[in-house]
Amino acid sequence: MLRVRSHGRGGQGIKTASQIMGTAAFLSGYQSQDFPLYGAERRGAPIVAFTRVSQKTILERGPISLPDLLLIGDETLLEDPQAAPICGSDEQTVLFINSEKDPQILKGSFNLPSLPVTCGLTKLCLQYLNDGMVRSTALGAAGARLTGRISLEDLLESVEIELDVMGIAGQPLQSNLDLVREVFGALNPVTIKEREESALSPSKLMVLEQKEVQDAAPIITATRNMVQRKTGNWRIHRPEIDYEDCNNCMICYARCPEGVIEMDPEGKPVIDYDHCKGCMICAQECPKHSIKTLWEMDYELEPQ
Amino acid sequence: MNSNLNKKRMLTGNKAAAWGARLAGIEYVPAFPITPQTEIVETLSQWFADGTLQGKFTNMDSEHSMFMAAGAAAATGVRVFTASSSQGILHGLESIYTVAGWRVPFVMVNVSRALATPITLEPDHNDVMATRDCGLIQLHAETCQEVLDFVLMGYKIAEHPLVSIPVLVNLDGFVLSFSREPVMIPDEKAALEFLPPFKPVQPVFRASQPMARASAVFGGGTYTYFRIQQDLAARQAETVFNETAREFAERFGRTYEPVERFHVDDAEVVFVMSNSFATKGKSAVLKLRKQGIKAGLLKLSMFRPFPGEAIANALAGCQKVAVIDQNLAPGMGGIIYPEIVTAMYDKKDRPKKILSVVGGLGGKDIKEDDFLSIVERLNDSESKRPLYLFDEGDWSQFQQLQKIALV
Amino acid sequence: MIQIPSHYKKVTDLHPREEIAPGSALCAGCGGLEGLRLALKELGENVFISNAAGCFTLLSVYPFTPFRGSWLYTTMGAPVPAAQGVRDALDIQRDQGELTEEDDFQVMVVAGDGSSADMGLSPTSAAIHRNLDFIYFCYDNEAYGNTGFQLSGASPYGSRTQTTPVTKDHPAGAEMRKKDLFEIWKSQNPPYIATVSPREPIDLSNKFAKAKILKGPRLFICLSPCPPGWGFDPRDTHVIAKLAVDTGIFPLKEYVDGQVVHTRVPRKRIPVEKYLERQKRFRHLFVPKRQDEIIQKIQDGVDHYWEHYS
Repeated sequence: MLRVRSHGRGGQGIKTASQIMGTAAFLSGYQSQDFPLYGAERRGAPIVAFTRVSQKTILERGPISLPDLLLIGDETLLEDPQAAPICGSDEQTVLFINSEKDPQILKGSFNLPSLPVTCGLTKLCLQYLNDGMVRSTALGAAGARLTGRISLEDLLESVEIELDVMGIAGQPLQSNLDLVREVFGALNPVTIKEREESALSPSKLMVLEQKEVQDAAPIITATRNMVQRKTGNWRIHRPEIDYEDCNNCMICYARCPEGVIEMDPEGKPVIDYDHCKGCMICAQECPKHSIKTLWEMDYELEPQ
Repeated sequence: MNSNLNKKRMLTGNKAAAWGARLAGIEYVPAFPITPQTEIVETLSQWFADGTLQGKFTNMDSEHSMFMAAGAAAATGVRVFTASSSQGILHGLESIYTVAGWRVPFVMVNVSRALATPITLEPDHNDVMATRDCGLIQLHAETCQEVLDFVLMGYKIAEHPLVSIPVLVNLDGFVLSFSREPVMIPDEKAALEFLPPFKPVQPVFRASQPMARASAVFGGGTYTYFRIQQDLAARQAETVFNETAREFAERFGRTYEPVERFHVDDAEVVFVMSNSFATKGKSAVLKLRKQGIKAGLLKLSMFRPFPGEAIANALAGCQKVAVIDQNLAPGMGGIIYPEIVTAMYDKKDRPKKILSVVGGLGGKDIKEDDFLSIVERLNDSESKRPLYLFDEGDWSQFQQLQKIALV
Repeated sequence: MIQIPSHYKKVTDLHPREEIAPGSALCAGCGGLEGLRLALKELGENVFISNAAGCFTLLSVYPFTPFRGSWLYTTMGAPVPAAQGVRDALDIQRDQGELTEEDDFQVMVVAGDGSSADMGLSPTSAAIHRNLDFIYFCYDNEAYGNTGFQLSGASPYGSRTQTTPVTKDHPAGAEMRKKDLFEIWKSQNPPYIATVSPREPIDLSNKFAKAKILKGPRLFICLSPCPPGWGFDPRDTHVIAKLAVDTGIFPLKEYVDGQVVHTRVPRKRIPVEKYLERQKRFRHLFVPKRQDEIIQKIQDGVDHYWEHYS
């Protein structure tokens, strides 16, 4: 059994990547299973999907807590405590990160359990699809290639099948197939050891005490504690105010659905990057075009 | 007891329910009519309109709306009463589940009536059984007196800090809802001493005390925690019922237990029943005893929480038990039957035989003769299916109707 | 006649305090959230929100709430009855002298168009009938958004939803016209109804300023451009919202004192296709082949509306 866990953000096609791998493995004669985990999260928010590949009947369901192959489609997730993509992986887990950074540096910065395999998929997606979002095909192709169990032919057929479901045909399909060939060629299969089955040990089940109703029912007496959830990690683009140019008209403040642009004491707008989801409405609406749109990835990652 | 403290009056089951609510000093009734419950809300609307009761009576647009308004008002700190029946219970089911999970206290009365299809006005217990898993406390009344007393006790149980769950009091449509019998109406002052005005033990909606309630959860662990707490609180309600019943007995002289044992101790055959037809069962027990059959009856006054231990203790040592379900889960049989069997399973001296009987559906009578048939079936070792109380007379009557219906 | 000065003239007049904390799981660029944000800036913190199942249910996910005031998740069909129960309970306690005026609050329903136009409509009509004192905020993204964008009673003619796919036999996608919730409410003559746009914060804020001093059922229909459902880049939420107003397909108006008043009349309405063509849900009207008949029908609907009101 090979267990693949894919991490990315809503809108990046992580679910489709897991399905491309699932279908490709199926076409290559394996039993396979794929499964996305939907939460309440939306476009830009961390998403996780799973693929299981096996020669025998798969007797597992649901999330994969201990992955054999971990695909990280968006390196900004590495510093995201909510997504925690590394969680559950061990030294036996093969890590793949969509990044152009030095694997040694990534390992050191994020305390990774092993040296990751890297490839700059984002650049390739821009090149082939004219889209900076990591698309399903690139990550799916990377995952399929790394397993060493899926032929290019089966992978291409799988991509055709899965993109057809999404209504992608013609030239866009061909571009995706070219992208798959490129990614397949750029990576080599890795050795993924079959995990030994461990003996079961009993769960530490507990006897819950009855609590008084306030502690026993879904009641929140705190107010505005939503602020503790940092949605800044949703950003793919980063708005940056050019204060030289800004005339403090506060249109950005008025238009921001999240209310994360504040007026500072001098009357200047200030963006709360902990929460800004990167919708880029402010940049679009700024009458003077004083808000720049930057790639979030171009910002240096801050290790945890 | 000073006779001035109490007064007896001829009351229907519905009026008794209204009196229970009145004596509980209810402040709010969101209402919607449905046969055979309507008399309850009509009575209460009169009392609110003429100043007998203080607070508000709101005519709602459906039971779904009504139960939601009831829960929301309880969460805002007033004492709430409401009532429904049958299709209304089903229409309101989503709201009932929802507000039960909020863990807010109030009392609702269900006047039992069978469910469509076919649609009928007459009683059976499928409606109240539909609320079995909602997380309500359920008290089932046999007499008009019990209706009144259970409503009054219901508030005490619902509002107990360790319970905080809505209580449903069930009475049979028609047979009890429209039957008049003498009912002791407790003195208002005594009722107030027993049940002081509502003082919520949990935060209620106030500008000075903002809160978010019933927010969505993600993750099965959080969901499971709240659900287990709901289970623990519901189970706690049996202890609280017993405490409440003790205090009630001291004040008003009437004693209640989760299960009532009628000639059970030396019985060889015990009928398990609930609600008004238990009266008929008791009569049958006395007649069977005259005919040399040592019969007894166990009446379930409490159905949620399920008083499994009390039931098991009562039935221990008894050879034969017949569970008479006035409801039907097609493909399974009576709904209470498997619960009784479960309660007995790990008892050494469990009955040799527990029979499922399904009768009294859609207003069909359970005759005293039926009880002898049940005893006979209990002696027949071949019975695998439930015993349906449907006799040759029923069959010939139906055939006549069908002759008219079909060409 | 209700006299309220329009005290908002420019965006810096808006109440500076944010009532809704960031951090919620709503989509980036949600037009409805911008509408609610502006609404609560005007209403302040003494607000109790009764919520119907929908996208905005994600505003409070245990153990978090973004609000200073109160929140109650109900069901899809019964946010209004919950508001009724809360309002009734407060009134009872006010009458008993158990609740001070300071401890009272504005009861508000926050529901999507699916709840508002479909499942929750009958209870809402009943609450208007009972003259329930509440504000109803409908974030109208013209479909069941939280389940992935299926047809609701508020989905417009010619739009693609997940349950009105565009096929050879169904070239328009949604074939029914959008329910007119404004007119449905108006038929019961409540004290106040308004349509608002997140792109028009001054108009929106002045309407809330007016409504908050009134009593009884008050409705706000907030056109809520929905990036994933409507199919546009989140940055364009306000562009789309503006086009909705400028093409006249979403008239900004209010109903007060028995009169409908348009608060922003587009001087020269631009063709509705300018609004349609920027959204994937209408893309089938333009590619692979332009469907003039359907576009014209939508335009005719808009023209007919404004002829009626000019």
